[in-house]
Amino acid sequence: MVVCPEAELPAGSRRLVVPFRGRAGIGVFNVNGRYHALRNLCPHKLGPLCTGRVSGRVVAAAPPSTDASEIEVVQKGEILICPWHLWEFEISNGRCLVDPRVRVKTYPVRIEDGFVVVYARQSDLPTQPGGALAGTA
Amino acid sequence: MTKRNGARPITAPGWTAEPRSPVALVDCDVHQGVGKIEELFPYLPRIYRRQAEEQGVRLPGSGYFNVARDAHRTDLVDGKDRPAHDRQLGNDYELMRREHLDLWHVDFALLTGSSMYGTSVLPDPDFAAALCRAFNDYTMERWAARDDRFLVAIAVSTSDPRQAVAEIDRLGDHPQVRAIMLPTGTRMPYGNRFYHPIWEACHRHQLVVGIHPGNEGAGMAGPPTGAGYPTYYIETRMARPQMAMAHAASLIAEGVFEKYPLLKVLIDECDQFWAIGLMWHMDADWKSLRDQTPWLRRLPSEYLRQHIRIGSQPFMEPKSPDQLASAIDALHAEETLVFSSDWPHWDWDDPATTFRGLSPELHQRIFADTACDLLGIEGPTAGGGVAPR
Repeated sequence: MVVCPEAELPAGSRRLVVPFRGRAGIGVFNVNGRYHALRNLCPHKLGPLCTGRVSGRVVAAAPPSTDASEIEVVQKGEILICPWHLWEFEISNGRCLVDPRVRVKTYPVRIEDGFVVVYARQSDLPTQPGGALAGTA
Repeated sequence: MTKRNGARPITAPGWTAEPRSPVALVDCDVHQGVGKIEELFPYLPRIYRRQAEEQGVRLPGSGYFNVARDAHRTDLVDGKDRPAHDRQLGNDYELMRREHLDLWHVDFALLTGSSMYGTSVLPDPDFAAALCRAFNDYTMERWAARDDRFLVAIAVSTSDPRQAVAEIDRLGDHPQVRAIMLPTGTRMPYGNRFYHPIWEACHRHQLVVGIHPGNEGAGMAGPPTGAGYPTYYIETRMARPQMAMAHAASLIAEGVFEKYPLLKVLIDECDQFWAIGLMWHMDADWKSLRDQTPWLRRLPSEYLRQHIRIGSQPFMEPKSPDQLASAIDALHAEETLVFSSDWPHWDWDDPATTFRGLSPELHQRIFADTACDLLGIEGPTAGGGVAPR
């Protein structure tokens, strides 16, 4: 499925594509120049995950009552937060940060002839890099 | 149905995605409100209007961060060029109709308000009563009149029971008014005799007493937990069920349901597991200490099961389906549990994915029948709309 020209998905942006009417769709993200595609359906309670905020992960080495405490934001721009119930997911691999058993489905993304292309199945990937465009938007 | 991303009604087992007859879905916690608080000014007496214009409305808060966008679902508010503190979503009927009432085929939605939970803990009871009147007039005009699926829980300040009764008498017989709405944050638990004139008025008008989190630790209310002030919002939220327990135990022990035998109480957004333990614990205590409250004629748990209804959001999330089934059984969910979504907040529960694996009979009790009994809904009649109480 062709998403858009590469230039229309700059770093830090996203596109939501709905290949079939009525389906949840797929969110395509450009995180620091790398492309990732996630199913737009939160495995927690089926919220529209890919419409959520892209953010970082807030971490602290120790509680604030200790001298060692410092609250930091890491992985800036790499974390997706579902608008329903605010569960956090790593965009690059679909891993849920609050429940290790949970993972959102991911799809392969390629750049082909200057277009961002998402494959619904791993087996649909062209055998040779830079092959013909597969599918239509 | 409109094209939509994410969960849809068709995904739930037992869910037909079609309106069923007579009533399939009653939502007992839907927040309506104002876009900006200034929209209430035309409904206020001149003295308060001038003070509010000059100094703001001054509703008390407890000082905790919740989440951005006024705790709304970000998929409803993001991408619309709205600044982070803009409250414009609160008055958006079209959004609620399109994204909630029509989408999920909600038959009836209990409007539980938003901005006015703080009135009960304002120092000035006259200003509090004026604010409630203004908000109720706004709600009846701008919300209730637009959609006959709306039932209204009117805002009432408990700080002056006489004025609370007057407001209940003023609006209580309106066909869409079915409840009053009060916060969990209080000076005294709701069984206290101070409140009884309000319960008497609700009993007389057959209105449900709604209780919803709000104002814990704000204004004149006690701290957000029995142990005092926690540091973070998440702690107040984790400890929130104790507020529900304190009010439920108080209402039962002080004999409110003996005095007002038809009174019903709805406790929204405090989880549900607390009611299971409370029923067990109350009965055990009562068997030993019965002579302290000799006016109770039945086990405390029986009062809870008969008089208190518990909103389903946020729905308890036990570790396994077996644990959930046990909890539903111990809760007497077929009697006590009603569906509440908490639209439009981030922690809302949609009607489809939250309740998997219920029997069709229990599903119908939770999603419709118990709430119909509670709110006096007889279902769409031959003439349509809300049947008279």
